[in-house]
Amino acid sequence: MLSAIGTHGPTVSPTALLFLHATLFFIAVWLLIKPQRDGNAWLWPLFLLVAIASISRIAMSFIPNVMPVTILAVMVGSKFGVRRGFAFAVLVTLASNAVLGHGWWSLFQIAGWASVALVASWISVHDENGNLSMTQLAFSALWSVPIFSFIVSLSIIDSGMSAFEFGLYLANGLLFDALHFFGNLFFAMWFGQWFERLLQMNQPTHQLVQQESEHVSAL
Amino acid sequence: MMRVPPILVLLILSVPLAQASTDESTWTHEFDAGYITTKPLVIDDTVYVRTSGFWTGSDDRPIVAAFDVHTGEERWRYSSQTSLQHDMSPLLFVESGTGSCGEWGALLLVGWNDGKITAHSPEDGSIIWQNQTEVNLLGITGQMAIENDRIIVPTRTGVASFCLANGVQLLEVDTGNNGWRNGVLITEEGYVIGDESGHLHTIHRNGTLSTTYLGEGKIRHAPIDTRHGLFVHMQTDSGSSLYLNGSLIGSVGGSPAIPLMHEDRIYASTSNEWISMLCGAETCSIESIESFRSSGELNLRTYNSTVEIWAPSNTPEGGWGVFNQTSLIRMEQTPFDTYGTAAPGFSQGVLALGNDAGILQVTHYDSSQKKVDSVDGSIVQTIHYIAILGLFLLLCRSFSVHDWSQMMKIGSAFFLVLAIAVVPELSVNLAEKTATQSEVEWNSSWPEEWKQTQVIVFEIDGEERAIGGLEPQDNVYDLTLLACQELGIQSQVEQQYLGAYLVAFNESAGDGWEFTIDGKRSPVGMSEAQLGESSIVEWRPV
Repeated sequence: MLSAIGTHGPTVSPTALLFLHATLFFIAVWLLIKPQRDGNAWLWPLFLLVAIASISRIAMSFIPNVMPVTILAVMVGSKFGVRRGFAFAVLVTLASNAVLGHGWWSLFQIAGWASVALVASWISVHDENGNLSMTQLAFSALWSVPIFSFIVSLSIIDSGMSAFEFGLYLANGLLFDALHFFGNLFFAMWFGQWFERLLQMNQPTHQLVQQESEHVSAL
Repeated sequence: MMRVPPILVLLILSVPLAQASTDESTWTHEFDAGYITTKPLVIDDTVYVRTSGFWTGSDDRPIVAAFDVHTGEERWRYSSQTSLQHDMSPLLFVESGTGSCGEWGALLLVGWNDGKITAHSPEDGSIIWQNQTEVNLLGITGQMAIENDRIIVPTRTGVASFCLANGVQLLEVDTGNNGWRNGVLITEEGYVIGDESGHLHTIHRNGTLSTTYLGEGKIRHAPIDTRHGLFVHMQTDSGSSLYLNGSLIGSVGGSPAIPLMHEDRIYASTSNEWISMLCGAETCSIESIESFRSSGELNLRTYNSTVEIWAPSNTPEGGWGVFNQTSLIRMEQTPFDTYGTAAPGFSQGVLALGNDAGILQVTHYDSSQKKVDSVDGSIVQTIHYIAILGLFLLLCRSFSVHDWSQMMKIGSAFFLVLAIAVVPELSVNLAEKTATQSEVEWNSSWPEEWKQTQVIVFEIDGEERAIGGLEPQDNVYDLTLLACQELGIQSQVEQQYLGAYLVAFNESAGDGWEFTIDGKRSPVGMSEAQLGESSIVEWRPV
């Protein structure tokens, strides 16, 4: 991961690189297999969403900052909690950067999306019944951007950079942050419900029955 | 709602589309006798080419000729009356300059199989100076090289050097063995050549000689200097052997071509295969092999930021194989294809081909290619505009019927498509406006000929090296690669997520490299950074 020679950041040997990748991967796996209280069936939906996020990120790499990964991180963090959200961030970054190119920035991308998932576990986009709130999801398209952008931008800091220069760097990226926001909003509006159906894919039937009866009684 | 489709159709028709034109022009010249066995040189508006053959008392003799690159009109020709065997030493063009042994104008340098070296005026072919090297049945057959103010010549039996200003011999060393097509490599230690007995000779600048024996075989090219040591592709009785730093690293087919190195790859060929080798952290190893037959020269060009390696197909069907870094991408054919060993000559928008038929073909292709690219870009832009317009209209419709959820969906798509169109260009404009500017001063030590041309400066390990007067390039990446080739600077480029990234010059990576164009930092990467006709690019360590 850190073999991007010349890019801001340290360089490591191929062996260290392999060790780092393996460590991150095993952390993700550990987070995934660690039991959680809520009993949600998460494994296959999560893997499916990791695949969708990775492939779409690679496919859309020609449009800067437009990808469904951030919105998916929000939804996974909200639905499955911060641990699964962190694992999601690790797996998507490892998988997509294998094609797009690893570097010092990969660690910060993981931290960025994991942070988005963390915040989403607090500011949930799902209501008490576990249903997706489109309003909250649209709002998350906005607040997720500065979190991710700030954390990823930290990768540029070196010993010679002042706070003012870092601020200028952030300011220069505002236009692309706007693009990121519009991209998040687009994926939220057009694919939010579909992602939600995937997240609920293996949901236990008693919960589905409960929801159905509530729906009927509402009529 | 029914008005929407006609409006969209009208808008499509009203958007002007660039028309492709076949503005390709080609001319050919057929020499009465002889083959073209080494690549034509395209310098500014002139194509220089030489013929070779086995002349047995007839009136035909080997020729060096110059043609107008646009019209094919022959400007001059020079015929050697004394060279009787195949003349295969590549032509060498040197810009004017000064040095410790004098001052010289632009020269076309030619090494002959009768041992002569002649320096011609590129304007009219007249001989500025000439000298004689050692002959043992054959004379100069390998690639010569320039070092500062002298030309280094691989002679039949060793190495000689001559002052560019007046042709005075400065050095002559006899290795005791014969060489053939054994070009010379200039290194820090001295001049390195191979010979027909499998030896590598290093001739130090003080005239001393050291020799290494690689193995049974013939070294018929200038060794390649890699970070892992010298690379040699040696012809053997059973095929050919690949050597790196004196160690055998592979065995492949026979009649090896003259290999070339670009960035971290070595390209080679034999009568059986085309080979791509990757030089990694530990060694160089074969990464890819394609079935192909090529035994002469290879040449490389960077076209639209893509590397193309051209190899003449030495078969009755002829043509040139065009490869990317790992595989054959197409065959380039002409109406006069036959056996050939000469690589193409490249210049901005010009392709010069020659083969054993003695036919030179020069094609101007750039204008048509640029127009095709322009059509592709224009179509994408049109689709983009249609999408923006269509979404806007649908947004308006949603608003008019108070369908808020639909409006949110369409609005998100509309603003996204609009942002994709606007943000990148806006960002570049903003960055350019706020970029710190500094004046680039013309360096008085630069030749006057460089004025009004693109100049590129490298500051490597505290030493500044500059070159100008090259064929104009569109972007910094292309100019950098071309300049590195000319100056003998090894460049290491990585294709990363954000584009091509310059890792190191001459293995000096440091904390990174940055470039400026006319004193300004570029807001885009080197592949996208566009150049003007007289841009000054400076590469400095971060």
